[in-house]
Amino acid sequence: MGRNILEEQIANHVVKFKDKYYRLAYSYVKNADDALDIIQESIYKAFSSLDSLKNPSYMKTWFYRIVVNTSLDFLRKRKKEIIVGEEFLFNCNDGEYDSYEDFDLKAALDNLPEKYRSIIILRYFEDLKLQEIAEILNQNVNTVKTRLYTGLKKLRTQMNDENQEVSI
Amino acid sequence: MINNNFKQLKKEYMDIPIPEELDFVVRKAIKESRSNGVKRKGRFSKAVTVAASIAATVAVLTVGINTSPAFAKTLSKVPLVGSIVKVLTFREYTVDENTFNANIKVPEISGLKDKKLQNSLNEKYLEENEKLYKEFLADMGDMKEKGGGHLGVDSGYVIKTDTDRILSVGRYVVNTIASSSTTFKYDTIDKKNEVLITLPSLFKDDSYVDIISENIKEQMIKRHEADDMMFYWVEGVEEEGLVDLFEKISKEQSFYINSEGKLVISFDKYEVAPGYMGIQEFVIPTEVISEILVSDEYIK
Repeated sequence: MGRNILEEQIANHVVKFKDKYYRLAYSYVKNADDALDIIQESIYKAFSSLDSLKNPSYMKTWFYRIVVNTSLDFLRKRKKEIIVGEEFLFNCNDGEYDSYEDFDLKAALDNLPEKYRSIIILRYFEDLKLQEIAEILNQNVNTVKTRLYTGLKKLRTQMNDENQEVSI
Repeated sequence: MINNNFKQLKKEYMDIPIPEELDFVVRKAIKESRSNGVKRKGRFSKAVTVAASIAATVAVLTVGINTSPAFAKTLSKVPLVGSIVKVLTFREYTVDENTFNANIKVPEISGLKDKKLQNSLNEKYLEENEKLYKEFLADMGDMKEKGGGHLGVDSGYVIKTDTDRILSVGRYVVNTIASSSTTFKYDTIDKKNEVLITLPSLFKDDSYVDIISENIKEQMIKRHEADDMMFYWVEGVEEEGLVDLFEKISKEQSFYINSEGKLVISFDKYEVAPGYMGIQEFVIPTEVISEILVSDEYIK
């Protein structure tokens, strides 16, 4: 009985916030088809691991975590299985660059190692609290804080480096 | 300053377009999860396998799309949503040791209302691939005992056609020992009436064997005349006595129906031509067989 109510709650939550989760997935995989797959997969995962949601009030961070992990798994697999894909992916993204007014920051963010990038996206784009990010990424708050600042620092240096080496 | 820049980036992030299908995908996934949920209780490990195989599908699709434009084109016809009958990777077997490589993907059809047909196809796929995997392991063991060697097997599937009416799934096996051999098998399903279409079932009588064979021979000769490199073991191209020349297709020859509703006959590597020619396909012009077709429902 409790299970059914929980399922209902999750279903409502996911339907309500689907756009948010989709954008997050998209920010990892950079294309609509894969992002849709990730959302689908995340929902399957969520329902098959209801037991891991200990308290329904953590539903948001819990589902965020599933989407982040599914996206990372996906990227890991893609990295492993595609040898010639990088150029292809690069070309795919190419057309979009024009519209980014802030090319440097965007590129620098994309180049940032995953452990920093996720935190920055969740903090600045999803407006989550450090405590929530810590729950999503399963790290303690201090680690998240440190990584957020390291990440920002790296972004700055990267942008400065790029400006010196090439002028775009 | 970086904070201001983030505002701009955030705006772009919020502008990521939300595809129309999202709502459908979300609701469908929820529905599927929930209706399966009952069974999953107490069978947690099973649920994990299912989840893992779905992940595998995601990977397979990406790889295919990114590595081959032709494959991408085929797959783009497999709607993520829309048609309910679909094909997913159910299970994957892999062996990755220096000189021994196996990559076997088992497809699974879902969404057919006729569960008997669906199960019989899926069981066949699983059985074929388990057998392939076991054989590979046995061969690998043998070769290791004898001091090593190279061995590879690559098996998977492609969706040849997926229209409102027809679903054609092709399964391939590539065996690599010294040279490689490739075989292709197809299943073509009428999605509307949910029946498996066999080659004989398309025709009024057995005369299709000769009629199609003659047409293929003509096509072989034409292809050879147009391009010397296109070489077939057929009278008029290859001399008699060197190899067995192509006489006629078998009653159960591999075939599928393409998205234009044309019958396509397929030959495995080495079946009618030297190895470098690979898999050979022949589209049979519909006017050649229109007289003997049972109906024009599938083939147009």
